[in-house]
Amino acid sequence: MDPSYDSGKVAEIHRHLHSHLPSEPALRVKALESLLVEKGLVDPAALDAWIEAYTEEIGPKRGAAIVARAWIDPAFKSRLLADAGKAVAEMGFAGQASGHLKAVENTDGVHNLVVCTLCSCYPFAILGMAPAWYKANEYRARAVRDPRGVLAEFGVTLAPDTRIDVWDSTAELRYMVLPQRPDGTEGLDEQALAALVTRNAMIGTDDLRGAA
Amino acid sequence: MDGVHDLGGKEGFGPIDRAGEDEAYHTEADARAYALCVSMRAERAYPVDWFRHVRENIDPVDYLTRPYFDQWLQTAVAMAIDAGDLSMVEVATGKSDSLARTPVPMSPADVRAMLTTPANFEREVAESPAFAVGDRVGTASHGHPGHTRLPAYARAATGEIVAHRGAHLMPDDGARGIHRPEHLYTVAFARGDLFPEAAGSPDRIHLDLWESYLARA
Repeated sequence: MDPSYDSGKVAEIHRHLHSHLPSEPALRVKALESLLVEKGLVDPAALDAWIEAYTEEIGPKRGAAIVARAWIDPAFKSRLLADAGKAVAEMGFAGQASGHLKAVENTDGVHNLVVCTLCSCYPFAILGMAPAWYKANEYRARAVRDPRGVLAEFGVTLAPDTRIDVWDSTAELRYMVLPQRPDGTEGLDEQALAALVTRNAMIGTDDLRGAA
Repeated sequence: MDGVHDLGGKEGFGPIDRAGEDEAYHTEADARAYALCVSMRAERAYPVDWFRHVRENIDPVDYLTRPYFDQWLQTAVAMAIDAGDLSMVEVATGKSDSLARTPVPMSPADVRAMLTTPANFEREVAESPAFAVGDRVGTASHGHPGHTRLPAYARAATGEIVAHRGAHLMPDDGARGIHRPEHLYTVAFARGDLFPEAAGSPDRIHLDLWESYLARA
């Protein structure tokens, strides 16, 4: 059957699922996994492939490599800011949620911060799994209303006249922040620079200027 | 939908808990729930908008308290039940009912393909965009039942078009099974125009909004 596209029907299904499944998350997941595998709806080898990909292969190291490349190669940086989806594909990182990727650049006057207030959209192919705090109600509620308070909790204090540009991912565009290069890193090569790039800096909750 | 999922700007939330922030998966159950969900989602060509809307319909208390991927899994299971691929009796008993349909599940090769192929939501449309960069636009003053990507905090607000992103599939329609593209814009709002306590702040909040959410201001 096609989906019903009926909000009331799925809300009722959720209520039934709540009453029929164990209340402990780990037990609930276990019960569903065993049923879905028995039913033939999922292949255990596919489950392992998903988990392995995001444990071993795909993570913020990709984003850090992109940032370091942009810091040392002005032509790449221009391509990244013009069409990040294409630029990251050049590096072999095209994947989930990278098709409409946008890179937003921090400058002396502007600090960028990324959130998804309506769900938890995130550029998986570039940054891997979102940290728990990014998906938490507190961050989703407060990032648009009180970005300075949020940043202060992460240890980032900005001058009052620095503008914060918040990007709420309400469509299929995904955002990554291009942080400012740390001071005193003129002699470092691409690899050494990449090691200084934190995942939080690419979301906007870290400032790397004093990191080296 | 005026649901608890629409969290932007809601007050009363406390400090952000950063525990475990460097782990890809927070628990083994989290990893399994994620993998189960994404393995089921490709089994049918569900629009992602329907997935998001089904999650929005989780009981509000569960939505605010249950782990993220646990909610994804419950959403995928609810979608499978809704589409008749699984029954509530099977969930209640934990036993597969052989009378039900058995589709071909996603293989590891399908997973590799999904991991390396970005989805494209942009489409051609005949109509020209109604707005240009620099235009002042106002947003709709209320939502509607069903799915939408205009957050409540940005309703009845005035902002400026900072980019035209081409035409993208429209989520309000996608969650009703209708694939219809519409022009998409990035709109910048002064934080002080959205939240009274931020009056005079230089900060800007950017949202990606479809043309039918907007009117010339």
